[in-house]
Formats: sequence, C-alpha cells, structure tokens
Amino acid sequence: MATKGKILIVDDDPDLCEIMRLALESDGFEVRTASNGTQGLQMMREDKPDLVFLDVIMAHPTEGVDVSATMKESPELWDIPVIMLTSILDTEYLGHFPTDQPLSVDQFLTKPVAIPELIRIANQAVGSKR
Amino acid sequence: MIEQHPLQVELVERIDWLIRLRWVAVAGTLIGVLVASQVEPQLPVGPLITVTAIIAVYNLIFAIYAHRLNLRRGTGIRRRQSPIFAQIQIGLDLVALIALLHFAGGVENPFAVFLVFHIINASILLSRRASFLVALAAATLYVAMILTEYGGLLPHYNLPRLAAPTRYRDLSYLAARTLAITVTLLLAEAMASSIVARLRARTEDLLRISQSHEAKSRELEEANQKLRQLDIARTRFITTVTHELRAPVGAIISALELTLGGYLTPEKQQEMIRRAQARAQELLDLIRDLLELSKARQIGETGYEQPVQLAAVLENVVELMRVEAENKDLLLSVDVAPVVSPVLADAGQMKSVWTNLISNAIKYTEPGGIIVVSLKEEGDWVVGTVRDTGIGIAAEDLPRVFDEFFRAEQAKALVQRGTGVGLAIVKRIIESYGGTVHAESELGKGSRFSFRLPKAHVPSPPAA
Repeated sequence: MATKGKILIVDDDPDLCEIMRLALESDGFEVRTASNGTQGLQMMREDKPDLVFLDVIMAHPTEGVDVSATMKESPELWDIPVIMLTSILDTEYLGHFPTDQPLSVDQFLTKPVAIPELIRIANQAVGSKR
Repeated sequence: MIEQHPLQVELVERIDWLIRLRWVAVAGTLIGVLVASQVEPQLPVGPLITVTAIIAVYNLIFAIYAHRLNLRRGTGIRRRQSPIFAQIQIGLDLVALIALLHFAGGVENPFAVFLVFHIINASILLSRRASFLVALAAATLYVAMILTEYGGLLPHYNLPRLAAPTRYRDLSYLAARTLAITVTLLLAEAMASSIVARLRARTEDLLRISQSHEAKSRELEEANQKLRQLDIARTRFITTVTHELRAPVGAIISALELTLGGYLTPEKQQEMIRRAQARAQELLDLIRDLLELSKARQIGETGYEQPVQLAAVLENVVELMRVEAENKDLLLSVDVAPVVSPVLADAGQMKSVWTNLISNAIKYTEPGGIIVVSLKEEGDWVVGTVRDTGIGIAAEDLPRVFDEFFRAEQAKALVQRGTGVGLAIVKRIIESYGGTVHAESELGKGSRFSFRLPKAHVPSPPAA
C-alpha cells in the first residue's frame, strides 16, 4: 500500500515512540523510531524521511536542539521539516536553548499532544512539503 | 594595592605638614629679624639671615625628598625611612633654633620657649622614647649654649633693651632659666606624648573594630551567597522533579487516548493498556522515592536516631530479596563480621539503604551472576559493601551515579524503567548520619557500592 509519507520519531521514551508510531501508522504514514539523536541522524541519512518529530530533552538537555542544528547544516537533511516536542512547563528550561541563533525548527508542540492534533499536524507538514 | 597602616600614613602626612610649617617659620623668622633689627640696632643680622637661609635650604631638600617618597606610594622604603626622616628634621630644627637664639641674645632671648614646639612635634611624630631623648637633647643644647657663652667660648650678643650686658654672666639668672626651660620641655614632652599615645591607641581600636566589621560582613556575604546557591539548586530540583513526573503522566494520557480513540486493533489496545499500567506504576515508584528522599533530609537533621544493628537490618532485607535474586538465577551471598558495632541512625532508613543497594545489584546483574553483601568494622567506622558481577558503570558516568534522576546509558538499556533516585536516597541517608558513600566499577565486569557510618559509642551495660 502506498504511504502518505515517511516519518521519523526521535524520542528517548519508548512508550511515546510506540504511541506516536501507532497513531501515525493508523493514518497511513510509514513510521520509524529512534531512541537518541545519533541514531536518529543515522536513520535520516540511510532513508530520508518527509518529516521528523524530535524530542528536545533526551540524555542531554539540548540533544534535540543539537540534532536539528546538525540537520540544517547538512546538505542532504536541511530541507526536512522538524517538529519539536517539549515538556517545558515554565521559562526555566528556556535557558537551555541557544538564543543567539535562530532555531531551525518548524513547529513546537508541548507534550502530551492530542492524537488527532498530532495526525493533523503531520498531514499538514508533509502536505505542505509536497 | 598594598594596604598602608593608617598610623604610617599619618606620619607621612605629618612630615608634609612639618615641611609646610617650616616655610612659615622661615618667613616668620625673617620678619622677626627685620623688625628686631630696628629695635635692637646691634643685632647681628648677617648670621641670623644665614641661619634662616640654611633652614630654607634644608627644608627645600626635605620637600623634594618627601615628594619623591610620596611618588613611591606603597613601597616599604617609605615606611622604614619616615621615622628616621622625622628625627633628622627635628634634630636640625633644634640646632637651627639654638643657633638663632645664640645670635639673638642667647639666654636673654625670650623666644627660647619656641623649643616647646619642637618637643610637641617630636611627641607627635616619634616614639615616646625618641621624643623624650629629643626633649633631653633640646635642654642640653640650650644649657650648652648658655655655658659656652658664659665661659667665653662663644661670643655673647647682648640685647640691650631686654637685658643688662652682664646679665649672661649672672649665675643665679642662668640657673633659673635652665631650670625653667628644662622642666618646661620635659613636662611638655610627657603631656604631649601621653595624649598622642592615647589617641593612637584609640585609632588602633577603631581600626581593629572596623577590620572585624569588615570580616563579619564578608562572612555574612558568603553565607548569603551559599543560601542563594541552595535556593537555585532547590528551584532546579523542583523543575527536574516536575519534568520527571510529567513524562509518565503524559505517556499514560496519550496511551489511553490512542486506545479509546479507536486507532488500534484489539491486540494493540491490550498492549497499550499494559504500557499505561506500567507507567502508572513507575509514577507511583517515583512518588514513593521522592517522599523517601525528602524524609532522608528531615530525619538526619532533627537528630531522630537510635543505635541500630546493621547486621539485623541486613538479614531482614536479604530474606525479602532472596526470592527475587533466585528467580533471576543470581547467587546472593552475605558475609557479616562476627562483631559489628551498632550505628546511630533510623532503622527504617537503614533498611532503605540496604534495599536500594541490593535491588540495584539484582537489577543490573545478568542471570548467573553473583552478588556479595558484606558488613564489617574499620577503625571507628562500620562499613557495608554490595558487590556484583553485573553490567558495571562507564567511567564517565561513575561520578554521577549518586545524582538525583541520573541513570547511566547501560542501565537504561538493560532495565527500561527506573526512577534514578535510589542511589541518591542512599547517599542522602548515609551523609545525614555523618557517613560517606563510594562507588567503583568496571564496565562489563561489575560494580562495588560501599558506605561507611560512624560507630555508635553506646556505654556498655553495667556488669550484673
């Protein structure tokens, strides 16, 4: 069956990876998951996805930010839309974000994301790219 | 900047002031000589002007020298030379005044009382001993002048309007003058010195007080800084806790939403609910650990402690955990020394220490492995150790294993769920009773966690 597009989810919480995978697969996307930034970048290079969901805080507070920065610097990955997932509650954590450079992120979502919202945003991001 | 002793600074300022004052004296002497020469035509104006000129010359030299010293602010040279510098000036001034007196009537000259000014200067600038010697020297010089004039060794310049030409040879007059001048000088020295000494003591007291105030305020500033850092640490801790609590709740909500929203096949629904249940359990564990963590802080600080036999507590814990170890095909061996002193602590918390260490060893050791728990005394300490042949901890992670919410990558890979608080609880409990924790490990070979607590000094029961 032809898919609506390929999505990569990078999150160190395996449950969230699985939940998002099942949700997006139910809407016809082809989904893969990675549990850390390095693995995520490697999987992007092997098979370029149409959209990446990226958790901000993994092993390091800025791992997600670092991954998106690396993506924007590499010629083969820079044009993949990135949606950041955060569980930021207050401005305290904003200190972790580099403020001296524009963040190369298309959208920020706060966890937990409602499933229909997740599907809508994925369709929008992949659709606008095509 | 080198700090100058204020009294030394004062001395330097006084010397500058002395030099300025001497210019006034030079001018005053010139005017005095000119006026006096009108009244007393016999006055030897030439020698008097010469002496005044000599004063002006040496004062100029002093002024230049003082200026150069002032440029070298903060160097030790000034500190060492200033008292000598002052002594030289006062000595020269004395000789100059005696010379002026000699050329202007000697014993007849009423301005001999000016010697008192020099004595007061000396009292202000020099030590008590030195100023006393100056007073003595002044009296001696004065008497020497009178006697040499009396004996004809030096000529006498009479002031006819003030005294008869033979007055300087009148011994009773000379004796009275000598006595009056000597007593005046010595008394002036004694009074001025004692006033100056009292002022100096008071200045030093003030100085000491202000220094101790400075030290106090520095201490307060440091304490304040420490409190501020504690506050920052606490805020960071709360933020982290909130983040850690939010993660499982978010996962549970999403899992339930996915299930209830009809996105899943029946088998997948089952699996999602199981995942949600596991996360709820994780949340409960985390809350339990957090409570224990905060309790560890409180009890240790309120001194709620009693003698605890760690061996008995250990026996209890091992009994509870043996099944878990056997289920995983692990050998759990206990090695307790025959005599181990009790420690002052809370028994419940000691149970928590053993439970956390042993359950960690069980969790992170592959089936077939060995766990050895030991308890013994080392000097004034009771030492507990838990060794395992588990997955070990990477060298770069080792310093962080006791941090709250830290979990090493290898630990996460083997056991997905964990609060990351267990070892933090152990550390906090042990440290709150004055002990220390220690971890060593080699990746892939195993780990060794140990703690030491001070032996309780319980008075032995009286012999029956």
